[in-house]
Amino acid sequence: MAWPKDVRRGSAWHRVGQLVLFGLVALFFIRAGLTWNRSGIGQLTDMLLFATAAVGLNLLVGVTGQISLGHSAFFGLGAYTSAVLVGQYGWTPGWTFPVSIVLCFAVGMVVGLPALRLKGVYLALVSIALATTFTQLLNWDRLAWLTGGPIGIKGLSYLPPSWTPFDGRADLGKWFFWMSLVVFVICTLIASSMIRSRFGRSMVAVRDNETAAAVMGVNLAAVKTLVFGLSAAMAGIAGSIFAMKLTLVEPVVQFFTLFGSIFLLVMVVLGGAGSTWGPLVGAFIFVYVRDWASGVGEGNGVLGLFEGTRIGGLGGIVFGVLLIVIVFVAPFGAVGLLRKARAKVVRVLPRPPALPTVANAQEPQPPTTVVSG
Amino acid sequence: MFANSFELFIQRTVDGLAAGSIYALLALALVVVFRGSGQLNFAQGEMGMFCAFVASTLTLSGLPLWLSILLSMVVGFVMGVGIERVVIRPLEHKNPGGVLVAAIGLFLLINQLAVAVWGVDPRGLASLFPDGEDDFFRLFGAAVRWERVGIFLVMLVLLALLWALFTKTKIGLAMRAVANNQDSSRLVGIRVGWILAIGWGVSGAIGALGAALLAPQAGLSQALMLGPFVFASAAAILGGLDSPLGAVVGGLAIGLIQAYIVGYVNFLGGGMVLSVVFAIILVVLLVRPSGLFGSQRVERV
Repeated sequence: MAWPKDVRRGSAWHRVGQLVLFGLVALFFIRAGLTWNRSGIGQLTDMLLFATAAVGLNLLVGVTGQISLGHSAFFGLGAYTSAVLVGQYGWTPGWTFPVSIVLCFAVGMVVGLPALRLKGVYLALVSIALATTFTQLLNWDRLAWLTGGPIGIKGLSYLPPSWTPFDGRADLGKWFFWMSLVVFVICTLIASSMIRSRFGRSMVAVRDNETAAAVMGVNLAAVKTLVFGLSAAMAGIAGSIFAMKLTLVEPVVQFFTLFGSIFLLVMVVLGGAGSTWGPLVGAFIFVYVRDWASGVGEGNGVLGLFEGTRIGGLGGIVFGVLLIVIVFVAPFGAVGLLRKARAKVVRVLPRPPALPTVANAQEPQPPTTVVSG
Repeated sequence: MFANSFELFIQRTVDGLAAGSIYALLALALVVVFRGSGQLNFAQGEMGMFCAFVASTLTLSGLPLWLSILLSMVVGFVMGVGIERVVIRPLEHKNPGGVLVAAIGLFLLINQLAVAVWGVDPRGLASLFPDGEDDFFRLFGAAVRWERVGIFLVMLVLLALLWALFTKTKIGLAMRAVANNQDSSRLVGIRVGWILAIGWGVSGAIGALGAALLAPQAGLSQALMLGPFVFASAAAILGGLDSPLGAVVGGLAIGLIQAYIVGYVNFLGGGMVLSVVFAIILVVLLVRPSGLFGSQRVERV
């Protein structure tokens, strides 16, 4: 049989293929979690946390079509919620996570309200406002009693509880890695099952044509605000863990500023907006390409400039060019590229239509009359 | 006492208008691109910054200042046309969402290119207008610096020129036609591709001028445009992204709001200016989703 081979969606072979793919990815992470050294695991953990936030942003941007450049604010809000509760009020870090999820969900829904009126670039600009306002609030001296102002909150720690198999301070890196992995998997499962649900269909309808969606009975207000809230909650939990891993929060942490928003959006688009695997692949490419690019030249961080140190070099140029090249080579993101490659090997056919019921047992016949002229 | 606070008010108004003129200039650059292609050029500020460095290098090599700035505007024009033709256009057909990422890539690329070429040592760019210690006149007791007046006038002249370009020339007519409907424009024989590219070029030149006017007071560095760009895009949004007049009104309004908040609202302090500006814009947008002067588009399904 010639390539590409046909595989029907939902068939045994299709399931096997999915399991093998899933198994390979799982194997990679399990192996990394068990054998990688401290800094390698640390970087992989960061990647997973960015990917988690990107999963949320992907729901909003990729699936529902609402551009947000404000997600650094939710990431930061989650981080600060945990940091304030732990640093100022002495909470156990684990108990702060539900609080930041709920808080970010609520704030996200409120922030989603302007999206009911604003579209496209206008919405993007308002979301930029959210990101910059958040940074200014963190620096505001009248809130310093809570946020610590420009100094932030330091000395946070989250040691693995005794019921976990981790051995206190020595296994701190692994503890954060497995925690992030679990959170990422849960968020991905929520997102992917949502996309396939009835609600997910209305999200896609809102993206493709708002007016048509509203005419078909989609409640625009409910869809937009709910997705904003959910998306913010995912960014928030990622931020909470990020803050505990970093052991501090301060306004200049890059992923709490507008640049964080931009980077999250870059991850979503690089990976493939709207796809389930996209955020993970995008975050992976982003973190490791940026890391590689910052090694080019004089070893200065690519983004050193943005952290106020005004040091740059070849790395930034390489990274900038790579971003442009990648969007050229992979118009639908890296996942789109992989799909294209897969299409050379197997072709996935859609599920067969459901069996006809007695009431409409008549099979639709192909048209037999030939129109001439 | 009254005279004093009145003087202060005038002073703040003048300062606000001066800052606003720069925002208006940069917002004009954004509007020219948006009218044509519906894109927000995130690399706009960095293009201007790059051109300001070019101007600075040219003056150091002995050229007169006005000629250097003019040449840097030509560089800005070429850069704009080049970026549109090489990066934006091919992407727009292949990957509309990618334009944003490409613009972010350009942002990094141009910024770091400027670091690589000119280094991070601070530089200067002389002002086109007298900006010495005592180059000011008094208006109701407030000091009005000639430099600020110059920038304000340049902005007004530019607005008039753009108006003339859009309404009195054939290219301007073509630009308006393309902004209105690309397919129909193509049918009546307008070369849509080049018109869009020229729009980017004009915008690049305006951005270069804005950066050259801003650099003498703000100091020339790679961070020159980071802040002003955010204010300028806020101005463009406030005025309506497809209206040049809106850009100017929005720019001046934001300059004034900024000056009054810093001056009068002690509770907030200087650090919260941007937040208040954005809050005001949000309210305006909720009432008029396309900005103050922007045109509402009717969508068909």
